[in-house]
Amino acid sequence: MSLPQAATADLPRDAALILAWQAGDEQAAAELVGRHARPLARFLAGAGAPEGDVDDLVQETFIRAFRSVDRFRGQCQFRTWLLTIGANVLRDFGRRAARRKMLPLDDGVRDATGDPHEHAEASEAEALLAAGLQQLPRLQREVFLLRAQQGLEYEEIAAALATTPGAARVHYHHAVRRLKEVVK
Amino acid sequence: MNMDGDARIESLAKRLGNEAAARLDVDATARKVVERLREQPARRALWIHQTWLRIAASLVIVVGGAVAIRHGQPARTDRAHDAHFVADDLRDLSTDELRDVLAGFDEMVGSSTVAVPEGSTDLRELDAHQLRAVLRSLEG
Repeated sequence: MSLPQAATADLPRDAALILAWQAGDEQAAAELVGRHARPLARFLAGAGAPEGDVDDLVQETFIRAFRSVDRFRGQCQFRTWLLTIGANVLRDFGRRAARRKMLPLDDGVRDATGDPHEHAEASEAEALLAAGLQQLPRLQREVFLLRAQQGLEYEEIAAALATTPGAARVHYHHAVRRLKEVVK
Repeated sequence: MNMDGDARIESLAKRLGNEAAARLDVDATARKVVERLREQPARRALWIHQTWLRIAASLVIVVGGAVAIRHGQPARTDRAHDAHFVADDLRDLSTDELRDVLAGFDEMVGSSTVAVPEGSTDLRELDAHQLRAVLRSLEG
């Protein structure tokens, strides 16, 4: 089932796709995944997701988002909302990993396997930044990634994380100051 | 704040996760998400159904158990009380023997407490049935 095209013609693409998905259009869900999966994967990997688990975490994030899309009120962009859900999914993953007596995410669980050539390409500074991010408080880490990696405005970040733009700005500057100490 | 340092950090941040994102098979991910969305409502409904059944069964056991205990305890007490009527235990005694028991008991607790049937002032005038009734009244 899908909504008449005229009904969604004036809506931004994401909003139209969300409405179509709510009306039962699976193709709309697939298109939303196509539009946002890579930025979400970047965010999750930047936030410490092991490379081997990024695909599963992306899927889980979309599943949760589609299940709770009725609660999305357009307070921020759909992608920003999706990224905050991704952060929660990653946190739950870290807890499960800790219960299974794996190393917690904050200790920097990352896939040490893979192509050695790819690892060689990653700069030392990038690796230091990734490690430094794991040492930050969760809110600082998320604000930093949303701002520096995803390029979002403070107003948008604040709306997604239920804080103020001023507080988001402070979190960001604290994060940058600490990360600069790590990446000298 | 050192702007060069800030710019360097931001530049590094923009590269974070690029490899993982590049490796992601977006079409396959979209397919899997749609499949899971299709499957999970049924699983969820089944889970809810099973969970409600478990809750209902637990309630039946708990409430039923509580009712049984509440009703069972007084019943047991009544039966126990019946079993301990001394008057019934003395069923095999003769009228004279019963009269002696009551007379002995009368001496122990005082004659004013013995519930002698109306119209009778002397235990000697009572038959076996009346004597048992007196014994029962003494037992409460």
